[in-house]
Amino acid sequence: MADDLPEQFDLIVIGTGFTESCIAAAASRVGKTVLHLDSNDYYGNVWGSVGVEDLIRLLASDAVLHSTLRNGSYTWHDESGDTSTSEGDEMKEETGQQWTRETVLAMSRRFCIDLCPRILYSSGELVQLLIQSNICRYTEFRAVDNVCMQQNGNIVSIPCSRSDIFNTKSLTIVEKRLLMKFMNACNDYGEDKCNEDTLAFRGRTFAEYLQAQRVTEKIASCVMQAIAMCGPNTSFEEGMLRTQRFLRSLGRYGNTPFLYPMYGCGEFPQSFCRQCAVYGGIYCLQRSVDDCAVDANSKEVLISSAGTTFRAKHVVSAPRYLPASRDCVMRPHLSRGLFLSSTPLGNEVLNKGGGGVNILRLMEGVREAIFIQLSHFSGACPKGLYLFHVTTPAVSDDPAEDLRPFTMQLFQNSTPEIVFSSYFTLTTQSQPDKVGADDAVFYTDAPSFEMDFYDAIANARDIFGRLYTDVEFLPRAPDVEEIVVDGEDPSALNEHSLPEDLRAQLQDMQQATEQMDIQD
Amino acid sequence: MAKTYDYLFKLLLIGDSGVGKTCILFRFSEDAFNTTFISTIGIDFKIRTIELDNKKIKLQIWDTAGQERFRTITTAYYRGAMGIMLVYDITQEKSFENIKNWIRNIEENASADVEKMLLGNKCELHDKRQVSKERGEQLAIEYGIKFMETSAKASINVEEAFLTLASDIKAKTEKRMEANNPPKGGHQLKTLDSRTKDSWLSRCSLL
Repeated sequence: MADDLPEQFDLIVIGTGFTESCIAAAASRVGKTVLHLDSNDYYGNVWGSVGVEDLIRLLASDAVLHSTLRNGSYTWHDESGDTSTSEGDEMKEETGQQWTRETVLAMSRRFCIDLCPRILYSSGELVQLLIQSNICRYTEFRAVDNVCMQQNGNIVSIPCSRSDIFNTKSLTIVEKRLLMKFMNACNDYGEDKCNEDTLAFRGRTFAEYLQAQRVTEKIASCVMQAIAMCGPNTSFEEGMLRTQRFLRSLGRYGNTPFLYPMYGCGEFPQSFCRQCAVYGGIYCLQRSVDDCAVDANSKEVLISSAGTTFRAKHVVSAPRYLPASRDCVMRPHLSRGLFLSSTPLGNEVLNKGGGGVNILRLMEGVREAIFIQLSHFSGACPKGLYLFHVTTPAVSDDPAEDLRPFTMQLFQNSTPEIVFSSYFTLTTQSQPDKVGADDAVFYTDAPSFEMDFYDAIANARDIFGRLYTDVEFLPRAPDVEEIVVDGEDPSALNEHSLPEDLRAQLQDMQQATEQMDIQD
Repeated sequence: MAKTYDYLFKLLLIGDSGVGKTCILFRFSEDAFNTTFISTIGIDFKIRTIELDNKKIKLQIWDTAGQERFRTITTAYYRGAMGIMLVYDITQEKSFENIKNWIRNIEENASADVEKMLLGNKCELHDKRQVSKERGEQLAIEYGIKFMETSAKASINVEEAFLTLASDIKAKTEKRMEANNPPKGGHQLKTLDSRTKDSWLSRCSLL
């Protein structure tokens, strides 16, 4: 690689995951010189989206030094598969489209498989950040079609908006009134901190509060499972916060309060990287770091990579990307399951027009998991196939075992025709942020268990704040129309910036339009 | 706000570093040549509205933001692109050879029916020429795409190239609209940019 790169930077960012990319964009945006490296040949690291072939490559290569992904395994469930065959095979003959290992692999790049899938609250942190920074110009979204819950073993859509509640047939009139009343109470919570109703529940659990509202069993499970997304031990305050988050994201873009990025969550790191590059950040993928040292005199960090040494005032790195951090013990953090199915999960109502983008939160005692179904409307898989993502906080180093109670719940009443299944573990540092850390090197956190990107953004803000005080985090990038004259309106041109002949043309045009007015 | 155009086309510029992509962009959108300021004010695409057969076409032309330098263009760059200008420098043999790689990159990441065009830029530098016009033409024929030699500096063929690409996309779009009328959701909504209430709900930009 012929480099002719500068060797001095304000900031070197290592790894192109969500948090690192966010920091890179923020630094570049306020005029810092940024070099952004990644040893992978794709953007996003464990926050990225990959094709089927790339996924298989990742699952098979447990030995990648910098990777926080481990315990990868996968199985093809098609007839031609030589690994394993599932019980549902006799059904295959009847379906029109045959999805086999060959047909899936042939379309490998049409898939955007999130290693770490997320769903955004329509007025949540990331959506606000994207709008505020104008980085939203790089992404498109699909409004999530259904927020689901389980009811007697079936998957049903929950009513989200006022009109949904009004129209739904699954609730009685009394239940509708109770649910509406409860939602209003949650919405008003916090306005009047001394409200006597809620005062008594401080320090207690949200479940207790719900019980005291005398809502029916059905409503309680709807709120716990899908709206507040709580467990039995979630505190009252946390439950209220989450319910409000849900309610405040309603009615913005679709029927549900959630958005999914078209083409997968891997678009986010790429969008931040694009923003960084637009402001002059330099990108090198497939470039790993061989050594990282601190210059005793200048206090600069020296990063050696492929024979070149770069100097920077600060370095931000993803876990395990720097040689020094590789000794750090990584513990299992998220257990991930990933399925390709030729049939969607749930009934026709949940899958209008060829399959919905649906989410379902699963509970099993105190444990929980998030299930996301993506149809081709999400841009993440070809038409006729469905991508199922299941994520739960890891309790062991066996992701399939961790997820078993949840997959059993999911597939007990409906048996989708799974073509491909895979499991893996995402790890995190045992002692975050302390590996060989000094004033100049910062480590980002591995992905946490959350729906949206609240933790990741907080992490990025925190590190950025420690790097640069008193600078705005991702201020709004001007619209192209604000910088540039728009070709469709000649009168908007600054006359003095025009060459002689154009200026004459413009005058002619203006005269012509004036004459037209007279004729009218 | 009233819509001031009939079509919105997203176009991309692709090719090696230093072939003059940004200069072509500025020549077409601003009729200017100096582009030294670009990374300091953060321009990532430019807009120009043209008129073809009484239709107003808004062209949104994206630049690589330097991410082509180490072949690190994001896959996101290709999303929704309807036309791609593949640019090489006639004074740099290597940039011409790399067109093959860029085409492979496009095939892997862009939608299959994206309209492509090949441009040999810097054609005003006769005495430094390394790639003959015939070779450019030949390569274009091989890939079944159109070809032009351009000069952003001397303002040769830049306008013509974009008008040609836009008119080809327009023809394709209109043909497809006739074929499946009325157009159904998904990608075509972008082509039409008819942000009706339905499409707004099913597919949203955060604006």
